[in-house]
Amino acid sequence: MATLEINDLHARVAEEDGERILRGVDLTVESGEIHALMGPNGSGKSTTAKVIAGHPAYEVTDGEILLHLDEADVADIDEDIDEADYTWNLLELEPNERAALGIFLGFQYPAEIEGVTMTNFLRQAINAKHEEREELFEDEEAEADADEDEDAGYDSSPMEGPTDEGEIGVAEFQQLLSEKMELLDMDEKFMQRYLNAGFSGGEKKQNEVLQAAMLEPAVAVLDEIDSGLDIDRLQDVAKGINALRDEQGTGVLQITHYQRILDYVEPDHVHIMLDGEVVKSGDAELAEQLEDKGYDWVREEVYEAA
Amino acid sequence: MSVQVPASISAETVERIAEERDEPEWLLETRLAALEALEDLDLPDVIQTPGNRWTDLESLDFESLVDPLNQADATERSEDTDAVVLPFTEALEEYGDLIEANFGSVLDPQENYLTALSVALFTTGTFVYVPEGVDAEDVTVRAEMNSRSLFSQTLVVTEESSSVTILEGIETGDDVEGERYFSNLVEVAAGENSHVQFGSLQNLDEETYTYALKRGVTDTYATINWIEGNLGSRLTRSDIETDLDGDGSESQIVGAFFGHEDQHFDINARVWHRAENTTADLVTRGVLDDEARSVYEGVQDVGQDAWNTSSYQRENTLMLSDDAEADASPKLIIHNHDTEASHSATVGQVDAEDLFYMESRTIDPITARNMLVEGFFVPVLEEIAVDEFREDLEALVGERLR
Amino acid sequence: MSSEDHIKETDTEARFEFKKEQKSAFQTEKGLTEETIRLISEDKDEPEWMLERRLRALEQYKAMPMPTDWPGQPDLSEVEIDEIVPYIRPDIETRGGAENWDDLPEEIQDTFDKLGIPEAEKKALSGVGAQYESEIVYQNMQEQWEEKGVIFCDMDKAVQEHEEIVKEHFMTKCVPPSDNKFAALHGAIWSGGSFVYVPEDVTVNMPVQAYFRMNSEGMGQFEHTLIIAEEGSEMHYIEGCSAPKYSAFNLHSGGVEVFVGEDAHVQYSTVQNWSKNTYNLNTKRAIVEENGRMEWISGSMGSKATMLYPSTILKGRGASDNHITIAMAGEGQDIDTGAKVYHNAPETKSTIESKSIAKDGGRTNYRGLVHIADGAENSSTAVECDALMFDNESTSDTMPYMEINESKVDVAHEATVGKIGDEDIFYLQSRGLDDDDAKQMIVSGFIEPITEELPIEYAVELNRLVELEMEGSLG
Repeated sequence: MATLEINDLHARVAEEDGERILRGVDLTVESGEIHALMGPNGSGKSTTAKVIAGHPAYEVTDGEILLHLDEADVADIDEDIDEADYTWNLLELEPNERAALGIFLGFQYPAEIEGVTMTNFLRQAINAKHEEREELFEDEEAEADADEDEDAGYDSSPMEGPTDEGEIGVAEFQQLLSEKMELLDMDEKFMQRYLNAGFSGGEKKQNEVLQAAMLEPAVAVLDEIDSGLDIDRLQDVAKGINALRDEQGTGVLQITHYQRILDYVEPDHVHIMLDGEVVKSGDAELAEQLEDKGYDWVREEVYEAA
Repeated sequence: MSVQVPASISAETVERIAEERDEPEWLLETRLAALEALEDLDLPDVIQTPGNRWTDLESLDFESLVDPLNQADATERSEDTDAVVLPFTEALEEYGDLIEANFGSVLDPQENYLTALSVALFTTGTFVYVPEGVDAEDVTVRAEMNSRSLFSQTLVVTEESSSVTILEGIETGDDVEGERYFSNLVEVAAGENSHVQFGSLQNLDEETYTYALKRGVTDTYATINWIEGNLGSRLTRSDIETDLDGDGSESQIVGAFFGHEDQHFDINARVWHRAENTTADLVTRGVLDDEARSVYEGVQDVGQDAWNTSSYQRENTLMLSDDAEADASPKLIIHNHDTEASHSATVGQVDAEDLFYMESRTIDPITARNMLVEGFFVPVLEEIAVDEFREDLEALVGERLR
Repeated sequence: MSSEDHIKETDTEARFEFKKEQKSAFQTEKGLTEETIRLISEDKDEPEWMLERRLRALEQYKAMPMPTDWPGQPDLSEVEIDEIVPYIRPDIETRGGAENWDDLPEEIQDTFDKLGIPEAEKKALSGVGAQYESEIVYQNMQEQWEEKGVIFCDMDKAVQEHEEIVKEHFMTKCVPPSDNKFAALHGAIWSGGSFVYVPEDVTVNMPVQAYFRMNSEGMGQFEHTLIIAEEGSEMHYIEGCSAPKYSAFNLHSGGVEVFVGEDAHVQYSTVQNWSKNTYNLNTKRAIVEENGRMEWISGSMGSKATMLYPSTILKGRGASDNHITIAMAGEGQDIDTGAKVYHNAPETKSTIESKSIAKDGGRTNYRGLVHIADGAENSSTAVECDALMFDNESTSDTMPYMEINESKVDVAHEATVGKIGDEDIFYLQSRGLDDDDAKQMIVSGFIEPITEELPIEYAVELNRLVELEMEGSLG
């Protein structure tokens, strides 16, 4: 059971006199919950997502982002775990360290990387996650011992190279991948293609969900995962998101413009952002109200109340 | 390898040229210094590969080509413009200080043997000055060369937020027996946020050897666009260069050449990115017929401090004859990783499929070929914003094809 | 052939000659004397004609200036030719290698470890000690080939045992000593290397690897490789290996000559990982007959400075060439490499693919020449150079030269320079990769289109080297 807790988060564009975008965001997402974060363009939704993942283009000026874990979340770690290791201040961590702890960001515009096949990429990401987790939870003495271990002996010929040290075997990986791809109704030939290169908009989004399924995050932040999808693909993606929650207990923070995806992925909580703050929260009904009445309604309500 | 200084030139020659034009002392001194430097200076660099020197400048016989005291030209300069447009030597009287401040600041007179020779001996050329904020009408300069040798020196100074288009046409006037030499140096100092387009169309007779070196320096946000059309001369060495010295400055260098018979074109386009956010686009297209030969070097040099550079280069050569030769070397020199740069070069012939297609539509082969050649130049012609100039170039290409 | 003829033959190769001005600074190489050359030749018990060739090359070497005026070329002023001379005397046996494993620099020991090369192999690869296991493997291979008439032996041995064929081909038509100063030096003091002869219509399935040979013979600094592939034959030669070759010398100047017969196909692969104090100045050339095919695959990772432009002369109609070049330069390295192709016959074809990576202040340069001779109609060439840069301390140059004397051709050259995008790195980081791994992955992706064309054993070595080069050097 993991909880992502955002308190009074302020952030601006990381440059001199950079624009202030987030002005006190409060948000809590727990494992197994689906949250929808809605709001008009420029309200700070995507910035919230990027700041959670640690994008270098933004500077956090105030507030905190905490990730609370429990024993079940660290069951894979052999070490004794200190009490302090159950709560992490994400703002102190690198993007890859956050990812290792279980934060996943589904990008609005995923990067296209030529020459790196999907298979190669995903396997490396999964192995990197295992490794990084070991390091994060390891105490320093143990670390020194581990370094010595690495220098021991050779177990393969020079022409073949050492066997892969990764935690996940090739067969195991392939099987896992096949399952997830089937779930998302993805063609297996994707795996031999280069990472997002030449993918259509919809294929890229499907691929983001696939990656989330493979990496089994505690909390997945999906930034406009539904935009640019036709209805068939939207259903596939929705199936994937529901499976994240149902099968892996992932908490989902879904950023969207549209009510449409919420018909397939029913949110437990709906939040509305305006001008860098979460101004209104509620259940699925709130999204429907929003659909009917629009953001001006929210704006009026909020500013009248104030 | 320095070249012998022609016996026909001495300090007295230079003094006489300066005296006849009643030039200020500083200019005479600059000329004399250039003359003196001649014996230590080399000819411009020429590309050399194993066993093959791309252009032979060494065999130019300056002794017989240079006749410094009998230079003659007829040059018309447009007058209906807000810019100051004057023959170089006349401009000295009124704009002496401005000229002194800028002369040689872009192009070192002692850069090489040919520049020094030119500075020591020039008798013609144009001074263009565009004051702050002035959006000048197009300036045209039509020059005829009427002597065995002619040395020309042009200086363009644009002040902040001004803009000007200058079009230069060079042809042969009076018939002169034997071989000739034309030297054309152009300096452009583009002030902050100013915009300069400098077009040139060289169509000298084919007994002439031509050396042109045109270089501009951009201040912040300034733009210098060059268009260089070469059709004439037996041998042409043309260097068009921009030094992107100001942040956010830009340059485009558009080149077109069309060689036939035994013409030799050594065409060079170079740009140095020295500041941040600069952009360059080098586009050259050439056609070679008969035994003509072209040599092309394009250089995109990105300095260590040139963050966020964009730099592009394209060169295409079309061969119409089996006896033609096209040599090309597009170079990238990159010292800053925050750069997007690319170059491409192609050499090929008129596409046989295209020809066949046109012929099958009853167009005779010669017309079809000519249409394809004219079509080949279109991407370059499209870059030329001034109708008159584009039409001139089109007409010259058309004439060469008939 | 008399030595007179030989002299004539080498001199007629003027096309490749560098016509440079004489510089006097290198006129007086002490130590590299006729006496030294005679000693080498005598020690190897060479026939008279080989001694004559060496002496002739020595003369040419002395007459030629150091190449210094190529635009942007690596600085060769530290190349200590005088220092090398005592080492090449045959009475000194430590040529190339260190005396003891422990004498190797730590960085190199470390690399051996990381590559997972067993202890015994390590010693052999570094030129220390003998290697019996490999000798047996090598012997087995030899027997299998011998049945088919394939010859694969040490170059010195070939001079003795296959005298006529060596005499005809050795530094005559392909790489004459007059080609360049280092080819001349090589011609004077060459030692070791491989001789490969593949008879008509024989296909050598397994790559012939200098890797194994090195274990028994030790790889010299001036090794000569001569490959003759007769009509319709096919072979793949792999030179070098992924371990760095540490050397007390600071100059490596090898010579490679490849004769590709009609319809024959030769692939020549190299991974160069010389220690970072070495000047690597090689001359490699192939002559390809009708419908023959030559492929050069070169990975340049090591050395202080490399100047290497494997060249192919497409001599017969329909001959083809493929160059794949990967260069990587880090701190203090200047990797100036590329390709040369001469299209001297109709319907010849060449493709050149180059990928280079510059980081930590290193410099890479693609320098290449494509020459299409008059009459080589319906020939085509395509050159593609891509460079990746990490920082603004590094330099990435691209200097192609195209000489096209024929109109019925298709010539295309393309080059790009790119940077590693911050967005790309963040994306990979958000998936759990750390900064170094993310960059390494982008580099692997960058060279991927090339590595996927490579023979598998070569690609594996290359990839691991790239990983090693990237490791920890990135901020």
